[in-house]
Amino acid sequence: MSSALRREQNRTTVSLLVPALAVIIIFTTIPALTTLSYAFFSWDGFQRGGFNGLENFQKLFAYPYSDQLFAALKHNTIAFVVIMTFQTSLGLLFAYAMFRIKRGLRLYRVVVFLPVIFSLVVVGYLWQALLDPFYGPVNQIITAIGLPEFAKPWLGDTATALPTLMFINLWRWVGFPAIVFLAGLNAINTEYIEAARIDGASEGQIFRKIIFPLLAPSLTIITVLTFIGAYEWFDLPFVLGGSNGSPAGATDTLALMFYRLSFGSIDSGANNVGVGSALGVLIFTLVGLGAAFGSKMLRKREVEQ
Amino acid sequence: MNIKRFRGLVAALFAAATVVAPGASVASADTELTFWSWRTEDKAFYESQIKLFEAKNPGISVKFTPYLNTEYNAIVSTALTAGKGPDIIQMRPYGGMANLSDAGNFLPLTTAEVPALKKLSAGILAGAQGYKDKKQYGLPYAVSALGVMYNPDILDQSGIRALPQTWAQMLKAFDKVKKAGFLPIGNAGGNGPALEQLHATVGPTFYGGTSFYNDVVAGKKTFTDKGYVASLKAVADLAKYMPANYQGIDYNTARGLFANEKAAFYIGGNYEMGYFRSLNPSINIGWFPAPKANSGAKRYVGTWADGAYAINAKTTNKAAALKFLNFLGTKEFGQALVDEIAFIPTAPYVKINDPAVKEINRWRTTLGTPFLNVVGFRFENPTSSSILQPGFQKLIVGGITPEQLAKDVQTAVASWYAPQKGKS
Repeated sequence: MSSALRREQNRTTVSLLVPALAVIIIFTTIPALTTLSYAFFSWDGFQRGGFNGLENFQKLFAYPYSDQLFAALKHNTIAFVVIMTFQTSLGLLFAYAMFRIKRGLRLYRVVVFLPVIFSLVVVGYLWQALLDPFYGPVNQIITAIGLPEFAKPWLGDTATALPTLMFINLWRWVGFPAIVFLAGLNAINTEYIEAARIDGASEGQIFRKIIFPLLAPSLTIITVLTFIGAYEWFDLPFVLGGSNGSPAGATDTLALMFYRLSFGSIDSGANNVGVGSALGVLIFTLVGLGAAFGSKMLRKREVEQ
Repeated sequence: MNIKRFRGLVAALFAAATVVAPGASVASADTELTFWSWRTEDKAFYESQIKLFEAKNPGISVKFTPYLNTEYNAIVSTALTAGKGPDIIQMRPYGGMANLSDAGNFLPLTTAEVPALKKLSAGILAGAQGYKDKKQYGLPYAVSALGVMYNPDILDQSGIRALPQTWAQMLKAFDKVKKAGFLPIGNAGGNGPALEQLHATVGPTFYGGTSFYNDVVAGKKTFTDKGYVASLKAVADLAKYMPANYQGIDYNTARGLFANEKAAFYIGGNYEMGYFRSLNPSINIGWFPAPKANSGAKRYVGTWADGAYAINAKTTNKAAALKFLNFLGTKEFGQALVDEIAFIPTAPYVKINDPAVKEINRWRTTLGTPFLNVVGFRFENPTSSSILQPGFQKLIVGGITPEQLAKDVQTAVASWYAPQKGKS
């Protein structure tokens, strides 16, 4: 390649990158760095005071924030484990079923993916109405089939609120891993499967020894995205439990706590930008390191086709 | 799972960013004022009042934009901090927006510019002052009062002839209502703030109302005081009168139970009446102040300024904005506010026609006591409310003892409130 051509190519590459980079720098990098700096200042409402070192972090790890922090972290972790286990395996199951299906693939694909495109607020209110302990059809059905002791205040009981939220999350998001896995399945060279079949491998063997290992790249993506999503879980808990993680903080998450601290809750008053930013830094570090480390580990076990 | 970060936050920023910045200059023929509020339910009311204002003030138009109650503070904070925001702002009382006024976001008002301020009492004016500089930043428009609302028809059918005067009598009345096949109270546990209001209604008689308020503000008493613990226990004792599965019943469903005449009582603020009547225009509603803890105790009506109208310090339409603010301070507007939304007016010159509101206001003026958390302890985080709201949700299901909850509130408040520092 001539050097003139290479220069020309470089120029094109740079000019194509600039707009996207500018957007990322202005809307992601700069705010992230400013938040980082906010964490080391004292705040009065939205007015920045003087530098106060690690005081905000100390506050974050003292009562009452420490209680909220560890409770929220626990909820995020539970959400990650549960969503990873159930949502991802169900997604894989759906994907495999759609992969093997002969007719109606389009229909199933739409059905599985449909909830993903609904507005989350709509999903939230829909489920809130369905689960209403007084008027909701879910409890009415449970009572009608003779199991009134299982008609619970699903979103109001501290024991059931988080599991209910995770279930709704699954209902809404299962289509996403399903579609990613389906794409992964379709990318697998069918010669491997045919060869295995000729050699007399069973369906189970084919899935375990050929398909699953070759799906590793999809699984990496899903795991990393689920990890990020679970530790930044905000929208569904906010729609259903408000910024305080109602009931009694049972659905509190790190992101809700961040929002509540940084912006204040209308019902309980004043905010604390400093402690909020300290928490922001903590979440960023946790998610950033977790995602980087996780994807590195997962990539290692991916196999080449 | 959604991977977009903090969608709520982005939405708030977006809402703030897309709002039209205040118009050009006062001198121009048509000045458009923007007016933000959290009262989505009052949109029709404000728009009809704005029409009256516009008719009298040609050349000035006002655009009223209400935001979701729960999002309002974040939206206003974001906009004002970015140097934007509307010309006129409906302002949260006391600590609700004190950090914004302390940061110089609102125009300080003088009685020369806003004569209506002269007619308001000091306690009401305090609801719209800066926490630090004590300057007047808003024109308070309404006061709220807490009490027990009841359905006279259900009481009649349950054989209750006299309104309860003491706590024991009230619980007895609840039992009677239950026996007659109705729900005693519509109040439920799905919403922390509603439980806090419930406590602010029935609690003061247990902790000693205003004198305890003064002592705790001065640092002479703490939240672990025996009386305060008893007031928390009173809330726990009401749980068994709440509807089945009360933990999960949200605010609207709870209020709906009273509005739709399934529940005999609803404990809370007078501002609920407008909502009850909007759901069921034919409902009969009576009101009485929360009963006394025992025959020796006093009754109290929790009260606080509900909000105020303020002007953005960065408005480019100061003259027009003041004109509109003064319109909001007129007798006609105050009268309409009372007649149409059943608010208790701040201004003594407004006449209350609604018999229920009149009754509430009569009790409020004689038994009034400040809403402890709102008036006293919402200025810094962790506020007492931020501990109590989830705390009450735990308390009513037996997840925490009243003693422990009181201790938690004390620890939280003592972490920032100087007179309480080091006390437990």
